[in-house]
Amino acid sequence: MVELVNASIPWLVFGVPFIGALLIPFLSRAGDQIRNYIAVAITFVSAVFALMMIPLALAGETLHNQVAWIPSLGITAGVLADPLSVLMANVVAWISLAIMIYSLGYMKGDPNLTRYWFFMIFFIGSMQLIVLSDNFLQLFFGWEGVGLASYALIGFWNKDKQSDYVGTVGHKAWGIATAFSPSHAGMKAFVMTRVGDVSFLIGIFVLYFFAGTFDFTLLAQEHGWAVDLARAGLLIPVAVLIFGGAIGKSAQFPLQEWLPDAMAGPTSVSALIHAATMVNAGVFLVARIGPLFATAAQAVNLIAPFFETIAWIGVFTAFLAASQAMVAKEVKKVLAYSTISQIGFMMLALGVAGLSANFLSGFIAGFFHFTSHAIFKAALFMGAGALIHVTHTKYMSEMGGLRKEMRFTFIAMTIAAGALAGIPLLSGFWSKDAILASVLDINSFGLAMPLFALATITAVMTAFYSARMIGMIFFGKKSQHLEEMEKEGKPVHEASRLMLLPYLALAGVTLLLGFTGPFFEGFLDFSFASHLEQGFGMVVIEAPFSINPVALAASLGALAVGGFFGYSFYIGRRFDPGKVLASSGFVRSIHAFLENRWYINSIYYIVFVNGSLRVATFLHKWVEIAILNRINSSVTNSTQYFSSISGKFDRYVVDGVVTGIASISLFLSKLLTKIQTGVTEQYVFGFSTGIIFLVILMSILL
Amino acid sequence: MAKLDIPLILIGALASAALLIPALDVGLGKVRNAKFSAYFTMLILAFALLILTIGGLGLVTLDSSVPNLLQNDLLGVFFGFVVILVALLVTVASFDYMKDNPNVSIYYSFLLFTSLGMVVLSFAVDLLMIFVAWELMSLPTFILAGFMKKDKLSNEAAVKYFILGALSSGILLYGMSIIFGLSGSTNLNVVLNALTDLSPNMIPVAGFGAVMLIAGFGLKLSIVPFHMWIPDAYEGAPTTVSALLSAATKKAGFVAAIRVFAVIFPLLRFDLSMSLAIIAIATMTLGNLAALTQKSMTRMLAYSSIAQGGYLLIGLVVLPTSPLGLSGLLYHSLNHALLQATAFIAVAAFRHKTSKTSISSYNGLARVMPITAFSLMISLLGLVGIPPLNGFWSKLVLFTAAADGGFAWLALGGLVNSAISLGYYGIIVKRMYMDEPTEKVSIKESFPFTAVLLIASMIIILTGIFPGPVYEFASRASIQFLSGI
Repeated sequence: MVELVNASIPWLVFGVPFIGALLIPFLSRAGDQIRNYIAVAITFVSAVFALMMIPLALAGETLHNQVAWIPSLGITAGVLADPLSVLMANVVAWISLAIMIYSLGYMKGDPNLTRYWFFMIFFIGSMQLIVLSDNFLQLFFGWEGVGLASYALIGFWNKDKQSDYVGTVGHKAWGIATAFSPSHAGMKAFVMTRVGDVSFLIGIFVLYFFAGTFDFTLLAQEHGWAVDLARAGLLIPVAVLIFGGAIGKSAQFPLQEWLPDAMAGPTSVSALIHAATMVNAGVFLVARIGPLFATAAQAVNLIAPFFETIAWIGVFTAFLAASQAMVAKEVKKVLAYSTISQIGFMMLALGVAGLSANFLSGFIAGFFHFTSHAIFKAALFMGAGALIHVTHTKYMSEMGGLRKEMRFTFIAMTIAAGALAGIPLLSGFWSKDAILASVLDINSFGLAMPLFALATITAVMTAFYSARMIGMIFFGKKSQHLEEMEKEGKPVHEASRLMLLPYLALAGVTLLLGFTGPFFEGFLDFSFASHLEQGFGMVVIEAPFSINPVALAASLGALAVGGFFGYSFYIGRRFDPGKVLASSGFVRSIHAFLENRWYINSIYYIVFVNGSLRVATFLHKWVEIAILNRINSSVTNSTQYFSSISGKFDRYVVDGVVTGIASISLFLSKLLTKIQTGVTEQYVFGFSTGIIFLVILMSILL
Repeated sequence: MAKLDIPLILIGALASAALLIPALDVGLGKVRNAKFSAYFTMLILAFALLILTIGGLGLVTLDSSVPNLLQNDLLGVFFGFVVILVALLVTVASFDYMKDNPNVSIYYSFLLFTSLGMVVLSFAVDLLMIFVAWELMSLPTFILAGFMKKDKLSNEAAVKYFILGALSSGILLYGMSIIFGLSGSTNLNVVLNALTDLSPNMIPVAGFGAVMLIAGFGLKLSIVPFHMWIPDAYEGAPTTVSALLSAATKKAGFVAAIRVFAVIFPLLRFDLSMSLAIIAIATMTLGNLAALTQKSMTRMLAYSSIAQGGYLLIGLVVLPTSPLGLSGLLYHSLNHALLQATAFIAVAAFRHKTSKTSISSYNGLARVMPITAFSLMISLLGLVGIPPLNGFWSKLVLFTAAADGGFAWLALGGLVNSAISLGYYGIIVKRMYMDEPTEKVSIKESFPFTAVLLIASMIIILTGIFPGPVYEFASRASIQFLSGI
C-alpha cells in the first residue's frame, strides 16, 4: 500500500495540473475570484507532491514505475524519479508557484483569464511530464504540450495592439521589420521550435529503430544499440538530432531567434518560459541524454564530437546573445538575450562534462547554474513586469532614477542582477565559477582554452549588461516620460504586495543560495554521483567542494572589467554612452550590427519565410495548376465563366419557378458543354498521363 | 463459440433498409419519412457497428457461407468497422445539414447503399465481387456529390467525379482482366497460386496489369496523379458527403487495394514497392504543398486528405517487407477516418450556419461556435500528428514500418511532410482561437452537430491517451491476414 502511494506521487506531479487545467473552464462559471485562487492552489498541490519526492534525492535513490501503453509494440508509459528529475521537478514546481501568485496581481482584470490559467497550468503540467517521463516518447508528449502552451501564451494578447508589439515598430533590418505582433511572435516560437522538434523526433525514431525501446533505463543498461548505431555511422548524427530538439526549445544557435520576440507575451509568461519551463526543457533533455550517450558510447569511444558540438553551440550562443543584450533597449529583451546566453553556459557545462575525465563536475556545474539562474531570472522578470506595469513603458531609456520610488523592487532586482553578473557570495557566482572550473577540466588543453576564453569574454559582457540594466532603470535622472507622468498626477509607486512578495522571496532565496553555495554544491555532488553510478554505471569521482584559482581569477576579472564599464557609463554616469556612440562611425556600425541581431533574423525571414512561400506558390501555380491541367488559362476562364453563371442564376431564381426551371436546364446544358471542352477533359488528360507515367516507371524498374 | 456470418447479416440489414426507406415515402408521406429515415438509418448503422464490434472483439467465430466470394476475416471486420463508424457519424451530422432538402429519404437510402458497397468491398476476395462492390460503393456517391440539385458547384462536382469515376472503373476492370488472363481465375487465393508459377516472360504483362490496378484504385485512394477531381468534388459536394468520401470510401478503396496487391506482390515485390513509394512521397508532398496556399477550407481539407492518402500508402509500400506495415496502415486508416470525418463535419456545421467556406471566415470561431471550433482544432492537430492525439501513434507506426521495410527515406519524407502540414493546420487553429471574429454574431450550435462532434473529439483524445486497444485490434487483423497469404 505504501509503495503504491509512493509510486503514484510522480504521476500526480503532472496529473494534478493536467486534470486541474481541464477544471478551469468550469470553475470560471463559479466566479472569477474562485477560479483564480483554485488555479494557484492546483499549482501548489502539484508543488507539494514534488516536494514529497525530495527524500528520494536526499537518499540518492530512484523510483521507477511503469504501466503498459501499447503492449504489442513493447511501448510502456512510466515515471522515473531519480535525483536529476526530482530536483528539476522541484525547481520547476516552486518557481512556477511564485509566478502563479505573481500573476494574481499582474494579470488582474484581464478579460481572458480563463484561457490564461488554463494554459499556464497546462504548461507546468507538460513541463513536469517532460521531467518525470521514463522514456523518450512520453517525454515527447510533454515536449509538444510545452510547445502548444507557449504558442498560446506568447500570443495571449491576441488583439495585436501596437502597444503589445515587441521590438521597435517601423525599424527595419535589411528590409525586414524588427517588430512583431504577439500572435506573430507566438507563431514564430511555435514554428521555430518545431524545427527542433522534428529533428528530435527523427532522432528518437532512429534510436528506437536500433534499440527497440524508448525507455531510458533500458537504454542505459543495454549498450548494444550504441554499437549498432556506431557501425551504421549514425551514433553522432542521432545524438545531434536529439540535441536539435534541445536547441529549438532552449533557443540555442541557430534556432535562438524566436525567444527575443516571445517577449510579446505577458511578463509572467516570459518568467515562466525563462525560469521554469520551455527553455529549461532543452537543458533537462541534454542532462538526460548526456550520461546516456557518454556511457553507451564508451563501448565504441566515438562520442567526443557530440559533446564538443554541445559545448561549442553553448559557448557560441552565450557569446552571441550576451553581445546583443548589451545594446537592447527594452528591459525584457535584455533579460531574453541574457536567458539565451545563460542557457548557453549551461549547455557548455553539460557538453564539457562528456569531454573531461570526471563527468560529474560539468554535470553538477550545469545543474547548479540552472537552479541559480531559474531563481534569479524569475525574480528579474517579475521585477521587470512590475516596472512595466507602473511606468507604462518597456524601454529602459524611459525609466531611470527609480530607486527611491520602488525601493523593494530595486533591492530585489539588484540582488538578482548581481547574481547574474556573478558578484561573489551570490548564487550565480558559485555556479558560474563551477562552469568555468569544469571547462578547465577538459582533457584536451587545445579545446579548453578557446572555450574558456569565450566564456570569460561572455562573463565580461554579462557583468556589463547587468550593470547597464540596473543603472538605466534605477540610477541617473528621471526620464521625460516619468516626469510627464508625474505632472499628470500619476507618480510612479511600488508594485502591489501580491506582485512584490514573490520576487522579493526569490531574491531572498538567491541570497540564501549564495551563502550556502558550497553546501548546495556538495549536496548535488553526492546526489548526482549516486544518480550517475546507479543509473548508468559510471565511475565518478566525488570531489569535495574546491575552488579553481584560475577560474576564480577569470570570473572576478570579468566582473571587474564588465562591471567597471557598466558602472561608469550607467550607474556612476561619468561618461555619456550616447556621445561615445555618436563619436565614431565604427562604434555605430557595431551597435547596429548587434541591435539588428547580427542580421540573423533578417536572413531567416528572407530565406525561409519569404522563400518557402515563394516555393509553395510556385509549385501550386506551375505544377499543380499549370502543368497537370495543361499550360493554359482554363482555370481563370472557368472561374469567370462560373461567376457569370452565378449572376444569371440568381436573377433567374428570383424571377420565379418557371424561368427557374428553364434556367437550370440552360445552366446544365452550358455546364455540360463546358465539361466536354473544358476542365474535366484536362483532368482526364492528367489521368491518362499519370498512367503513362506509371507504365514508364514500372518498365524502368523491371 | 457461436458462429457469425457478418457480411451476410450486414448485406441483409443494409440492403433491405436502403430499399425500404424510399418506399416509405408512399406510406408515411415525404415529411414524416424525412425524420423517420434519418433515425432509421442511424439505427441500422448502429446495429451494423454493433455486429462488427462483436466480431472485432473476438466474441464469436467468424464464419462465411460464401468463402470464395466474401471472406469473413478480421481485416474485413476492421475496415467494415471504419466505414460504418464514419457513415454513422455522417448520418447524425446530416440530421441538421439535410433538414431542408426535399429528398431526404433518397439521401439516406443512398448513404446506406454506399455503406453496403463499402462493407461488401471490405470482405470481397473475388475480383468480380470486388468490382461489383466497387461500383455499388461508387454509383451512389456520384449522386450524393450532386445532391444539392440547384447548386452549380455541386452539379459540377458530381459530373466531374462521375466522368473520372467511370474512367477509373473501366481501367480497373481492364487491370482485373489482365490478372484473370494470367491466372485463369478471379478468386484471389487461386490467383495467388497461379501467379507464383507464372513464367518469367509474362512478368512485364503482370506489371502492366498492376499499373492499371493502381490507376483504377488510385482514383478513390486519391493518389497523385489521379487526385485532380478531389478538390472540386469535395468543395462542391454537400460537406457531409465530402466527409464520407474522404473518410470512408477512401478506406474501402484501401482494403480492396490491400487484398489485390497482397496477391501481386510476391510476383513484383521490389518494382511495385518502389513505384508505390514514389507515388506515396509525391502524393504527400504535393498534397501538403498545395494545401498551404488554399483559401477555401474545404479545398484545404481536400488537399490534406490527399496528403494523408500518401501516408497511408506507406503501409502498402512495405506490405511485403515489414509486418508493421499493414498494421500501421490499418491503424492510420481508423485514426485518419475519425479525424478527417470530424474535421469535415465541423466544417459542415459551420457551412450550414453561415454558408461560408473561405478560411478567413473562420477567424474568431472559438468565440462564436466554441464546440465546433474545439472539435475542428482537435481533429486538425490530430491530422498533424501532435501527441497525445491518435494521429501521432499511427504515423509513428507507419514511419517505423517504412524504416523497418527498407524505405528509410520514405519515413524521413513523411516526417518532414508532417512538419510542413503544421503550417496550414496550425493557421486555422490560430485563426479560430487568436484572431478577432469579422462579425460579432452569436450562432447557436445545433444539437446533432455538437453531439457528434463532441463524441468524435472524445474518441480522438481517448484513443490518443490510451492507444493500446485500437492498435491491438489493427495488429490482430493484420497478423491474421498476413498469415493467410
